[in-house]
This record gives sequence, C-alpha cells and structure tokens, in this order.
Amino acid sequence: MKQYAIVGASAAGLSCAKTLRTLDPDCEITLFTDEPFLPYSRPIISYYLKDKVQADQIYLQPSDFYTKHRIRVRTNTRVAAVQTGTLTTEGGETLKFDKILLATGSVPFVPPMENVGAQENVFTFLTMREAERLKAYAKPNMHAVIIGAGLIGLKAAEGLRPLVESVTVVELADKVLPSILDDEAAKTVRAHLDANGVETLLGDTVVRAEGEKTITAVTLKSGKTLPCDLLVLAVGVRPNTVLAERAGAEVNRGITVNRDTMETTVPGVFAAGDCVRSYDILDGQEKIIALWPNAVREGMTAAYNMAGQEHKDTGSFAVNAIDFFGLRICTCGLIRAEGATVLTREGEGFCKRLLVKDNRLVGFVLLNASERAGIYTALIQNKVDLNTLSGDLLDEPGLMLFSREVRTEKLTGGVRV
Amino acid sequence: MKKVIAREALCLDCKLCEVFCRTAHSKSKDVVRAHLYEDPAPVARITVEGDILDSVAVNCRHCDDPACVNACITGAMHKDPETGIVSCDESRCIGCMTCLAVCPVGCIKPGRTAVKCDLCQETGEPACVKNCPNRALVYVEVGGDAQ
Ligand SMILES: Cc1cc2nc3c(=O)[nH]c(=O)nc-3n(C[C@H](O)[C@H](O)[C@H](O)COP(=O)(O)OP(=O)(O)OC[C@H]3O[C@@H](n4cnc5c(N)ncnc54)[C@H](O)[C@@H]3O)c2cc1C
Ligand code: SF4
Ligand code: SF4
Repeated sequence: MKQYAIVGASAAGLSCAKTLRTLDPDCEITLFTDEPFLPYSRPIISYYLKDKVQADQIYLQPSDFYTKHRIRVRTNTRVAAVQTGTLTTEGGETLKFDKILLATGSVPFVPPMENVGAQENVFTFLTMREAERLKAYAKPNMHAVIIGAGLIGLKAAEGLRPLVESVTVVELADKVLPSILDDEAAKTVRAHLDANGVETLLGDTVVRAEGEKTITAVTLKSGKTLPCDLLVLAVGVRPNTVLAERAGAEVNRGITVNRDTMETTVPGVFAAGDCVRSYDILDGQEKIIALWPNAVREGMTAAYNMAGQEHKDTGSFAVNAIDFFGLRICTCGLIRAEGATVLTREGEGFCKRLLVKDNRLVGFVLLNASERAGIYTALIQNKVDLNTLSGDLLDEPGLMLFSREVRTEKLTGGVRV
Repeated sequence: MKKVIAREALCLDCKLCEVFCRTAHSKSKDVVRAHLYEDPAPVARITVEGDILDSVAVNCRHCDDPACVNACITGAMHKDPETGIVSCDESRCIGCMTCLAVCPVGCIKPGRTAVKCDLCQETGEPACVKNCPNRALVYVEVGGDAQ
C-alpha cells in the first residue's frame, strides 16, 4: 500500500489529497498542517472579520469528509524537514512515505520598518488565527492603518471597516491593486473605496512606529504622522520555501518544479500552489501566481504524478474575481504586453478592458461587467484566433461568438440527439 | 448522467425555458407572481442566446471535470458524486464569482451568491425541458463520470 504525505492543508494540499483518493482507493494519505484547523478557505477570513461568515462556516469540507475518505489530517503539526522517502516533524517523529508534496503556500513579506514587530497590535492577514486575533482586538473607537493596497490589504480594509472608527491604507505604488489593475481601473476602485470610508494614501509607506508595548502612531516616508491603534502588514506575500531549501531542492524565489509533473529537483518530492514558480502559458514566463484556482490545479497534477499516472499540467494563468463593497472586479491573464492593443468600453458604473495581441485575447479587466466572463477566460486559455469569431467582442460575450459547429460541440460534447 | 441538450435548429427564440426556469426557482412557483411581485426577483438559470434567426438555450453542462468547482475558493460549488449534478451551496457561497470567471459556457449568473442550473433536483425533470414547446431541449442520458 502506497503512503503519501502532504505538507500544508489548504488549496493545493487538499486538492492533491482528494485526487489521490480517487486515483487509489487503498493508499494512505496524511495531511500535515501547523495550523489548528481542518482545511479552510483562506480568502474567507475577511468575510469572517466583517461577520458575513461565522467561525464554523470557514471549512472547505465537513469534518466527516476526512474519515469517510480516510484522509488523516494532523493539525498543529509542523514539519521540520523532508527528504526522498522520509519526513520529520518538529516534534521529532521521523516517518516513511513513498511520495511527498510540499504545499506550504505563502508567508507574509514584511519590509524593514523602525520599531515595528513585537507590539500586541501588529497583525498580518493570512490566517484564520490572525483574523480571530484582529476581530477580538478591534474596537469601534480605533484607527486602523493597513500597509499595502493589494488584494489582501484591501480585503483586510473591507473586513475591518465596520469594526473600527477609521481605516487608512498606505501603498507605495501609485495606484491600488497595482499587480492586477491598469491606471484607469485603479482610479475607479480607489474612488469607490473612498466612498465607502476607506482612505488610501498612495506613493507612500510606513517607516517608523511609536509605542513600545502598543503602537500608538506611525510615521510615513512623506513625513506625515497617522494615529494608529492597530496596524495590519499586508505589503505582499512570498513563497514559503523553507522545507524545499532544507531538502536541497532548487529554489529561485519559488520552488522549481518540473512544469509537467510538479516534481521538485529532489526525486519523490513534489510541490504545488503558492510556494512554487508556475509556468504562465500566456507569456511563457515562470512566475509566482499566488491564486486559489492555480493552487488547486497544481495540487491535482501533482497527485496524478505522485500516483505514477501520466498527466501533464495544463499550465497556469492568473484569473481572479473579487468584490470590494459591492464593486465587482474580474481580471484574467496579462495586464500589459508588448505590442498589444487595448479595447475599451466604459459607461455608468462599469468598465471593460480587453487586451489583444496577435489576434488573441491575452487579458481582461472588468469592473461591474463580469457577466459571462468565463467565455473570455476560455478564449484566453485556448488562445482562440479572434478572426474565427463573429460579433463585437466588447458586447456581453456568449456562445454566439463561435460558429455553429463549435458552439454545438461546446454544448453537447459531441452527443447527437 | 442525464443532461439537458439543446437542439439549436429547433429553437424558436420564444424564451419560455427562461420563464419556467425562473418560476421553478421562485418562492411562489407561480408564473405571474414570480415575474411581477417577488423580491428578490427569481433568476433564470438558462439563457437564450442569439436572435429570432438563430438562437440557442444555454445552461450548465454539469461538466465531468468542472472548472467552476475546481476554482471555487470556499468549497460551496460542488459536484455530487452520485448524481453528477454541479450545484452551489448558497449557505457557504460568498458571491466572489470566481466560478463565473472560469465557466467556459458562461452559464453562472452573478448575485448575492452564484446562481446556476441544478437540473431541478427537487422535481426530477428540468422545468425548461418540460415547457419547451418545440422540443428544442431534451433531457437525455449522455454518459460521463456519474450515472
Ligand atoms: C485574505 C486573502 C484573500 C484572498 N483572496 C483570494 C481570492 O479572492 N482569489 C484567489 O484566487 N486567491 C485569493 N487569495 C490567495 C489564496 O488564498 C492562495 O493563493 C491559496 O490559499 C494558496 O493555497 P496553497 O495551498 O498554495 O497555500 P496556503 O493556502 O498558503 O496554505 C499553506 C499551508 O501550509 C502550512 N504550512 C507551511 N509550512 C508548513 C510546515 N512546515 N509544516 C506544516 N504546515 C505548514 C501553512 O500553515 C498553511 O496552512 C487570498 C488570500 C488571502 C490571505
Ligand atoms: S457551471 Fe460551467 S464549468 Fe461549472 S459545471 Fe456548469 S458548465 Fe461546467
Ligand atoms: S461565487 Fe460562491 S460558488 Fe462561486 S467561487 Fe465564489 S464562493 Fe464559490
């Protein structure tokens, strides 16, 4: 009987475990996590913060799922090291496994700042534990400062808004959501945040904090001082590669994996999710794509290859849907590409931007215009020649863009009736 | 599993499938009340695309390897291993629309939660199929990974 170990019980880890179970009904699967929880939805923590979701609603699967599928989840168990065939926990147990997956995800990136660290009111926003701590600490008279206007920083801002007196987000770049939005779309989002009581300070960052046990104020690069009763560090995340490095695997920002199989340079040790360097099928570059669907797909691919079944990964691209205070943002693919043209349509409360290169759709940004966005995503993923389509691409997309044959194939999967 | 298959050549663009889908997913289950008086207004999970010259009804394919389920960030979207039906557990959905962003036929509707076809699980026969006047929609066994 095969024995599999998975380090990290989140998007990539759970999807690997589920896939392994469908491929091999007899194998033994152990998931290790240093968190105290069964696998939960990491993106849901901002909804927990603002009380839209309760603590018992964060889980990806009901707890009997793991007994039913004989997946052993070892919570509160940090793995200290892995090697081909063995795994050592921090408690000192050494266990034998046929194949091991590293699904260790991301850790917060914290830039150096003077006098920021040990105080009780400094938070990150990556785990349920931190969200719980933040929720317990936040009081209606407090001024919150968040460093970083990326996805995680803005989700923290939205979650905190109803709990405190004021929320100010400080961002070093000259726009909000700098890694997914173009300038114009970012302006719209910023105005919307402002209208909902979240102030954003751009082109600036925190350099120093006042207060020993508790932070009371922060000083910005511009010299400005902000009152601060709680500080959230959300500058960014970086891949958690500690175990891979200890195992002697190649790491270059993210863990290096075989792009087809997800195996690392250490035989029998695989890696998937936020901790790896993914291959972007749109520009051929290797990069960190720290998004949920990507982690799930890579976890599945790893499972097939760990079980010895041939299965090539289809490759990555970014696709992301989020909303902030009711403004829907949906983005996919590249935000800029050399030699690309941008098709734009704007109107009252919505905006659509499609990036076209070599007659292929390579990216989009949709604000309050995500209807049937999956059609665009499929055009990007399948690199469909836009000359084969009919109709205006900027209209709400649909299957009528395709020829009748293609459309019928998509709808019937070849079934004739 | 059994799926709803559209026969494009027979579609009249009458949109009765939309009407009866909306009614089947309403509180009152009454055509008139569902259309005029319910708040929130019930949403049709099938959409007739095109125009009078060429139209086709599009709803969920209950895919064997569903992109929406793989992308769902909360576990709300799931495929029933016995029936093969892909549905959204609305009590766990946060309405992020990641599923919508990856569905290749564009059949998920935005709302407070993701809204999509559930093949009328409760009644056993999809309302769209039952009420199509020209049999442009049929409910047939098509194989796939759930029988
Ligand atoms: C607030 C927030 C909102 C987000 N919103 C979205 C969104 O809307 N859409 C989207 O696509 N993505 C979103 N993301 C990103 C998404 O959550 C990640 O891409 C995804 O969680 C990556 O999954 P993963 O399995 O690779 O790693 P992670 O989810 O990071 O999990 C890794 C796990 O491994 C554990 N671990 C690490 N080292 C060890 C060890 N040595 N021993 C034992 N356990 C270990 C960690 O504690 C952690 O539990 C969001 C993230 C956050 C924080
Ligand atoms: S919603 Fe879309 S992706 Fe999901 S099962 Fe239906 S057709 Fe497939
Ligand atoms: S909208 Fe709901 S079902 Fe769709 S991905 Fe988000 S949480 Fe999952």
